Amino acid sequence: MDQKSNIQLDNLIEKVKELLVIQDNYKILDSNHLEILIDKDLLAKTAELLVNSSDLNASLITLTAVDSRKTERAYTLYTVFSINKLNCLLSLKTLIEEKNPSYPAISKVIPSLNWHEREIHDLFGIIPEGIELPPLVLHRDWHPGKNFPMRKDFPKDSQIPITEHELEFQGPHGEGFHQIAVGPIHAGIIEPGHLRFCALGEEIHKFDAQLFYTHKGIEKMAEGKTPEECLEISEHICGMCSFSHSVAYCLALETLANTAIPERAVFIRMVFLELERLASHLADLMAISSSGGFAFASAYSATLREVIMRINHELTGSRFLRGLNIIGGLQKDIPDKSFNNLTVKLEKFNTDFKDLEKLILNSDSLLDRLELTGLLPKEKAKSLGLVGPPARASEIDTDIRRDNSYLAYKRYKLNVPIYDTYDALARTQVRIDEVYESVKLIKNIIEDLPSGKISVEINSYLKLTPSVGFIESPKGELVHWVMLNNDGKILRFHVRSASYMNWMGVVQATMGNNIVPDGPLVNKSFNLCYACVDR
Amino acid sequence: MFNVFKLWITKDIVLEKVPDIKAIDVDSLLKDLSRIKKLDTNTRTALSRSLIIRHLDTGSCNAEEAELIALSNPFYDISRFGIEFTASPRHADVLTVTGPVTRHLKIAMEKTYNAMPKPKIVVAIGDGACNGSIYEKTYACLGRVDQFLPVDIYIPGDPPSPEQILKGLLTCKVLLAQKEKKNG
Repeated sequence: MDQKSNIQLDNLIEKVKELLVIQDNYKILDSNHLEILIDKDLLAKTAELLVNSSDLNASLITLTAVDSRKTERAYTLYTVFSINKLNCLLSLKTLIEEKNPSYPAISKVIPSLNWHEREIHDLFGIIPEGIELPPLVLHRDWHPGKNFPMRKDFPKDSQIPITEHELEFQGPHGEGFHQIAVGPIHAGIIEPGHLRFCALGEEIHKFDAQLFYTHKGIEKMAEGKTPEECLEISEHICGMCSFSHSVAYCLALETLANTAIPERAVFIRMVFLELERLASHLADLMAISSSGGFAFASAYSATLREVIMRINHELTGSRFLRGLNIIGGLQKDIPDKSFNNLTVKLEKFNTDFKDLEKLILNSDSLLDRLELTGLLPKEKAKSLGLVGPPARASEIDTDIRRDNSYLAYKRYKLNVPIYDTYDALARTQVRIDEVYESVKLIKNIIEDLPSGKISVEINSYLKLTPSVGFIESPKGELVHWVMLNNDGKILRFHVRSASYMNWMGVVQATMGNNIVPDGPLVNKSFNLCYACVDR
Repeated sequence: MFNVFKLWITKDIVLEKVPDIKAIDVDSLLKDLSRIKKLDTNTRTALSRSLIIRHLDTGSCNAEEAELIALSNPFYDISRFGIEFTASPRHADVLTVTGPVTRHLKIAMEKTYNAMPKPKIVVAIGDGACNGSIYEKTYACLGRVDQFLPVDIYIPGDPPSPEQILKGLLTCKVLLAQKEKKNG
């Protein structure tokens, strides 16, 4: 496995050499991760070159900054690409001097990085030149001055006074236009966020959102913690996808420890990742049908979701699969008998789910709400960098379980549902198809379940080396970026969730020729986690 | 399960058994019922009354929200206890709060609490709200809920199961009746 990856890495180096001038400025971080040192003036151009190269087909997965003033006397920016074809990662490392913390913005050429750059500006005070920088993560009552919370000289628990302030939204003005403010506290049991519709009569002309209400500074919390302590934090980023988060984090740390976890642990992790996907997709279907006014299908999805949650509880003792993962494998083994039971239960689940599918797809009133609502054409979705089910509903053929091999997904043939109708119905259908795929996948994985150990001991980690955990969570691609300091504690922990990428998709889809009552439905057809976005 | 619904809708009768309820210990449930019979009239009256809840997420990881939503599913069916969730704090008896309080939600939380009529009850759900859990104090995270609001009932858990939440909410009914009596 390692040797094969190395060949692919050599391949990558050759291909990159064709595109860029690289001599000694590259470094091999691990068996499938290449790092290139790039000057800040060339950063945007290089990123554009890599993304547009048809040979590499690189996809930009995250951009993060590190306050490395102690070691490098400069801030460091890491732009991470995934080269799915070669199953490799490519990082561009850029040093940004302390005196003049600015660089030409990448989002001018790659718009999907807009939020990343604004976040780095808010938290680190590094200025991306050439784009507008309204506050994103920190709200308007935070007056930066010298208060950039992610800088190392900003004490962990120091706080800035809170003042009540007006939200600012741009939108058309004039006779007939009115703004509808929603949130941050919503009517139902959902997470907080402020949405603003600007409507002319019923029609939505402009839609915008103020998020990051549940921003807790988790990335700051993690700093200085041991890798094991940070695992618990990673599990508590989001409830809907807590297992995905912990797997992504563990993968990053296992790469740093240069360890392969036992086969059995790999397979059991895959079973639970898929169970989490089932639970999450059923919650999505529940939300979609209730927003469409179809209470019966909503209750039925809720019932099926509860079935999965109880299976989770029975197998692991936690309905949200917490406490199962450890760095190096699993906390406890689960007997084969329980897995055989699971197969039987899933058989019944599958027949029940067929009923639900019929219910949703044969109900004219619901279909009428879903069809042609919240259109998000392929080109737009691509430029926004959409991931996960909403991307597949916009005809983007992506699923990193198939494209990039982590755990043992490469062994199984995965049918990735792609729809070219771009509407809320397509997003519903993608989820329905994926539920069937996941059930099939779990059955196959259980058949192949190897026996043996479930964890390995880990002695040491690489220091001051970036590592990436990159997996397909229920909502889409999830990236965990970790770097340890010289004492083996967390220096920087960065999370880019799928919902973070998809939020602009919601905004764009809502604005596309919809009426105000469709707003919630479009939102629910994405059903993003706020906790994942805000952190 | 589907057939139960179908029969219920088409023929208005339920012939099949309710789905697998192994997870509930029937013996203790019966014991609980007999205990209810032994309760004094005040408590029994309190339990028979309705309870309206305004839910507030002050920065949770959304697991608690998922469990609160689960309470409305046909397994738990919280409305059979006369418990409903409302959109307006002005209609609410109870404020359920989840998650540690974040900087950005502090004002919204206070406004919601102040908008509720008296007597009001605050319930902290989940470890984040009850004791801060793993969420340390940072520039954006201010700490557990009872530093800002008077919490009456704590339902700890990571997250607490729907049964535990339900138990806490039933306790609210009794507490509410007591508070009403006290205020005359």
